[in-house]
Amino acid sequence: MRLFLSGLRKLVRRQATWLTLGLLAGLLALIVVAVGATANRPGASSNERAAALSLVTFPGAYDAILSFILGLGGLFAVIYGAAIAGSEWTFGTLKNAVARGESRSRYTLFSFASIAVVIAVGLVAAFVIGVVAALVGAHLAGTATGGLSDGATLGRLPGQFARGWLAIIEEGALGFTIATIARSQLAGIGAGIGLYFGETFAGIFLPDIVKFLPFNVATASVATGATGGGFGGGARIASLEPNTALVLVAFWLVGSLAVAALFTERAEISG
Amino acid sequence: MTGTDGLALATRGLAKRYGSQVALAGLDLSVPTGTVYGFLGPNGAGKTTTMRLLTGLIHPDAGSIELLGRPFGRHDRHRLFDVGALIESPAFYPFLSGRQNLRELASTGAPVEGGRIEELLDLTGLRDRAGDKVSTYSLGMKQRLGIAAALLSNPTLLLLDEPANGLDPAGIVAMRETLRHLASLGKTVFVSSHLLAEMQQMADIVGIIAAGRLVREGPIGELLNAEGIVRVRVAPDEVVRATAALGAFGGPDAVTSSAAEPGWISVRTTPERTGEVNRALAGAGIWATGLETGNDLEMLFLGLTGGEPVPGGEGTFFGLAGSGPGPGSSGTGSVA
Repeated sequence: MRLFLSGLRKLVRRQATWLTLGLLAGLLALIVVAVGATANRPGASSNERAAALSLVTFPGAYDAILSFILGLGGLFAVIYGAAIAGSEWTFGTLKNAVARGESRSRYTLFSFASIAVVIAVGLVAAFVIGVVAALVGAHLAGTATGGLSDGATLGRLPGQFARGWLAIIEEGALGFTIATIARSQLAGIGAGIGLYFGETFAGIFLPDIVKFLPFNVATASVATGATGGGFGGGARIASLEPNTALVLVAFWLVGSLAVAALFTERAEISG
Repeated sequence: MTGTDGLALATRGLAKRYGSQVALAGLDLSVPTGTVYGFLGPNGAGKTTTMRLLTGLIHPDAGSIELLGRPFGRHDRHRLFDVGALIESPAFYPFLSGRQNLRELASTGAPVEGGRIEELLDLTGLRDRAGDKVSTYSLGMKQRLGIAAALLSNPTLLLLDEPANGLDPAGIVAMRETLRHLASLGKTVFVSSHLLAEMQQMADIVGIIAAGRLVREGPIGELLNAEGIVRVRVAPDEVVRATAALGAFGGPDAVTSSAAEPGWISVRTTPERTGEVNRALAGAGIWATGLETGNDLEMLFLGLTGGEPVPGGEGTFFGLAGSGPGPGSSGTGSVA
């Protein structure tokens, strides 16, 4: 427990945590407010206007905001996971823990558990900021906000959050594992981003294979039908059924963490 | 492992390779409990590799390690609960303060007593800066924090890799006194260092490693006595005759002279035989104008690890070959 709490304290004090959340929430707020402010601009077609208003009209805005967070959040999670895991090697702090007799795999897994909790909090915070921004956008667009308290949509949100969180931490786990194997923050971040976009690119040529790969299953597992998985990459190919994808998300998550723990357990730590 | 009673740390046949490069080639260390053990060796001799092996950061290709009387292998990490270590440069989270770093480190490994962190911040003189981020610390302050981190769990065995790096003179003296104090409490301190004069003042026992093997180990007094030297100064035109006379006394291999110091001749012998050296010269009709006795760790070190320093090579510090003091300059008693 003390290892887990220590991991949380370290993450809260890291610039990377606040920068990642700030970027995600800031982009989301900026886009939503800008869309609201320009929805009724002169010259916009009725289709453009309808599309813009869907982002700031509740209850549909809930799905749109969540879709944005889960889409772009996947890329941010890869980078964040890589940054945290890589820094243990780059700073040399893993060495300190091992030299004190700490279990390498326990240290690795509790570090990730802390990341998972911080991601959960970050998702909720970004969502709240997104909803506030959508309210501002709705006000600017002159749209009613009566759907804000739509019971059916609000009832679905916890389940969607849970699935989204699992998908995001799976993507974070990939970055975490890549950086662990690379033993470097920068190499981990670079390789994680490369894998993220590489998978999307490979989907053009090998859709039947790529749909089982981690970023695609993450996006497919949170597909709501209405928004289809959303912004920021991921499933743009024939996706798996959400529940099947969720099982694969769990597989990739557990697999990634097992690889990270095993690698750390067996690694020769120098430097 | 046998024959390790009374030892806080013992290695037998410890071997480690990095690819084709041999880092350790069968290291046998015996570190008695309650002593300060100076682990000396030139760059690349295998000191840091040994430290990494002793803390489980890497694993040996062959040989065995015994920590505090019990075998230490891949699955014996709990043995490290009684060990404190500072390996290479101190590593901390730069975005945390010194105090926060110690606090987070305390959440790993052995439990840490309440109040221990503040006690260590006092001990290492860091209390005033304990709330500042480590990224603002000087090298010396990070080193102090590293020593504090090593002492966090009040370890029975302390492994310190070049702990004096970056410390100012007052810091070095304080560290020496602290380590001596710990040894007086029955703890064992294993220190690797390049600072030979510092080791000479601090260590009870030294082990000298070269090319991955232990080339000498023993109580520092005994080693230095065995490696004593007497230097005499004669008129420059009498050097040849004096060398011959002293060669007859101590053997030709025991006598050396250097063009860098005209008139000075060194005789490898114990300081107790200084009078006999003087008598040998007098017997040849030569009167010494200077006479020094000495025995220093640097001479012993250079002799065992490769002799004359080579620029840029082993036994060279910052590329200044032979920049150290001559024999007799440390721990000497001048009678000239």
